[in-house]
Amino acid sequence: MELEDIVSKYPPKLIMLVPIAIIILALISLGATYLATGSPVKLGIEFTGGTLVTVPSTESEENVTAEFASYPLVDIRNVGSRYMLQFGPMSESQYTQLAKLANANFDSPEIRHSGPIYSKELQVQVIRYLPLSFLLMAIVVFLVFREPMISLLVVICAIADILIAAASMNLTGVQLSLGTVAALLMLIGYSVDTDILLSMRVLKRKGSVDEKIKGAMGTGLMMTGTTIAAVFSLIIMSNFLYLIVPSFTRMDIIADMSTVLIFGLAADIFNTWVTNAQGLRWYLNRPKKAAVRGQKR
Amino acid sequence: MSLFEELSKDRRVVLYAVVVALAIISIGFFGLKFGLDLEGGSYLQLQLQGAEAQIDVTPEKILEVQFNASSVEKHGQSYVVTVPGIVDPTLADDLGYSGAKIAKGDNSSKITIIANPETIITNFLKKNLDADVQLNVAVAPVRYEIRTNVTRESLNALLAPVGGKVPPGEDAFTLGVSQETVDETKKVLDSKLNRLGLQDIRVRVVDNKYILIDLAGMDVAAAQEVVGKPGKFEIRIQTENNESMHVLYGDAVESVEIPDPRNGGWGVPFVLSEEAATAFQKAAIDSGATKRPEDHYISMYLDKDEIFSAPLAPELASSLQKAPSRSMQATVGGGDAGSVKAKELYIHLREGALPVNVEVVGSGQVSAALGRQFKLQMVIAGLIALMAVAGMVYYRYRERRIVLPMVTTSFFEVVMMLGIWALAGWQLDLASLAGIIMVIGTGVDQLVIITDELMKGGDPAASAAERSIKERAAEAAEKAGVGKVAVATSSKVYLARVSRAFMIILGAAATTAVAMLPLLGMGFGALTGFALIIIIGVILGTVIARPAYGRIIGHILATD
Repeated sequence: MELEDIVSKYPPKLIMLVPIAIIILALISLGATYLATGSPVKLGIEFTGGTLVTVPSTESEENVTAEFASYPLVDIRNVGSRYMLQFGPMSESQYTQLAKLANANFDSPEIRHSGPIYSKELQVQVIRYLPLSFLLMAIVVFLVFREPMISLLVVICAIADILIAAASMNLTGVQLSLGTVAALLMLIGYSVDTDILLSMRVLKRKGSVDEKIKGAMGTGLMMTGTTIAAVFSLIIMSNFLYLIVPSFTRMDIIADMSTVLIFGLAADIFNTWVTNAQGLRWYLNRPKKAAVRGQKR
Repeated sequence: MSLFEELSKDRRVVLYAVVVALAIISIGFFGLKFGLDLEGGSYLQLQLQGAEAQIDVTPEKILEVQFNASSVEKHGQSYVVTVPGIVDPTLADDLGYSGAKIAKGDNSSKITIIANPETIITNFLKKNLDADVQLNVAVAPVRYEIRTNVTRESLNALLAPVGGKVPPGEDAFTLGVSQETVDETKKVLDSKLNRLGLQDIRVRVVDNKYILIDLAGMDVAAAQEVVGKPGKFEIRIQTENNESMHVLYGDAVESVEIPDPRNGGWGVPFVLSEEAATAFQKAAIDSGATKRPEDHYISMYLDKDEIFSAPLAPELASSLQKAPSRSMQATVGGGDAGSVKAKELYIHLREGALPVNVEVVGSGQVSAALGRQFKLQMVIAGLIALMAVAGMVYYRYRERRIVLPMVTTSFFEVVMMLGIWALAGWQLDLASLAGIIMVIGTGVDQLVIITDELMKGGDPAASAAERSIKERAAEAAEKAGVGKVAVATSSKVYLARVSRAFMIILGAAATTAVAMLPLLGMGFGALTGFALIIIIGVILGTVIARPAYGRIIGHILATD
């Protein structure tokens, strides 16, 4: 397998330049978006405040737009015999009118509305809870390994996964919603899975580091493979099936979550078997005393 | 010995089987409840507006400004306010000091107010903010709970004319209302929505600051109307026999106070507007209630339901003969029973308006048809995910005997989660269903770890890879000591492998679970289901399903 060759062919320090370059690219993407919009990823209506109305309709886009002409329409999209309309901030009474209009003119519309207080509070929560998740994860990782360097590698890989997944949101136009925040946190779990497997195998088994890494790779790739298979079925179901089967509908929250997850999982394959594996090779094969300690365990 | 017989002796496998069976019974017996986004309906997210503050002000100064007084003196429990010229007799009542005595002098009036300093501050805040203010004496220094949208700055600006301020320091001013106020608001909403006969309403409190209401089968415009619209409150007075006449409607009630035990009996004090007080006096005189109060019941109705009925109090009857009264009290009796009744009545009286100012911060609706569509699509997605995973597993191991236990274990993990949800009566929303699919993903990951640990053991993968699965399986079986030869003894190698596999699994499961913990409190409960199902799923899987799977797969590999 070609991927396995990478494990042992080149010196770790040289290969490590690749993940470093990728992380820098991800940071550039997030930074550029931050400078342009004031946040590292594009925020969805839950975070910016606004209203999303999805109405079933077979009429033309122009006709549907005309129906809502007196409201601050920002965007309209056809999502499989339904139109998704996004509105900018409006007053409470205007919103009530909009809800009445949507209910009167369309058969069972879907409405989601976030006021400014809600969205601001949500932003505060994300800034508070996302680092907390990382901290808790890092504590558990340190408790599992009790080796600062090994644990640090695992944590770095998890952070790299999230950064790459977040940067991929900018590429694919997926907005930050509650669903995508959940997906990013979920990635912590998926990411650490394979890293723990790899580090455990390398630390607890006999044999050369390279051999052990290759051995763990079979199991680890299978793990990520099954997860990708599960997530892929979600993508198909939520994002594409409505294009083929008209009676199906797009499920925004699931579509966004699965898009973030698939990029994060792809990043995880790379970060586990390149970043973490090479980090372990470098750490355990480096000359003198510390390496002996690593082997002993 | 057959595979089944051997496995039935293993307590891990037995526990697993029992839990799965219980889960199936639980699902069958209690059924699954689905969230709003799958059932259809609307939701409202309300923010309770308010703050708690310490206040530095001299009560005398407040009275001086309020009454335009020339001097204010404190005599024991009362304040004597000297006002130049003639004073409007209703002024004290208007400012919230009921029972004030006015003595007219030559060119000034003396008003005696029986009140403690806190009451004066509370009255001042109430009057100027047009909101409810509650005194919290449980803390020192005392704090005032202001049940409307205020900031430290707006409060200071308000207090400046009376020479007062909020003392500096973080503790002196905190946004948010007390636990009691939140509970009270929730109760009022609960009571109101239940009385309207609405089915399946969920009122939840989040962060002590937000109230979330789910209303099944209603569009969002209607939901806003129902929650925002006050109940129709009416006071009637008994005339002759069983006849009664209308006195006033809810709009005449200016404020309702927290129940308190006055003179041995529990009562709910409330204040009427000026016109309403006059109307009440007129009705009492016209009906003859002022002459024979015991024969004339005063009844209160909320949306036509009687919530209170008692004769006019004799003292009130005689005072109504002379002048209208704005402050009244609905007395319900003494003791614990009285306390409970008073609280109930208070909530009913409050249904006209919530105890605290609320703002709708978010809302939305999902139609029932769309909800059904989501549900169907998620079930299909789950099945496709399971099939895709099974395909991957078969592709790797090329063994039906591994694929089947793995997929069934994963499936039963889902069954166990659903069983808990059914038992607890929790709702499954769209996010929880996504969570289930995520758990399938992590669950299978861990089953793969167990399988690989058991099959490959301590051998470096390179050499193991060259051998066929069957050889490895046979070897594993031998080492596992669960083959035909040694049934009773488990070999050390097998145990070492299983324990190593579980080190990895526990580490991975713990990180997934803790990473989800913060989500429990995020998004006003929107992601609670997602986080909870993942945490519980991961725990159930790690504690019950995966150990049993380790046993089962060990036996299956051994009986080759």
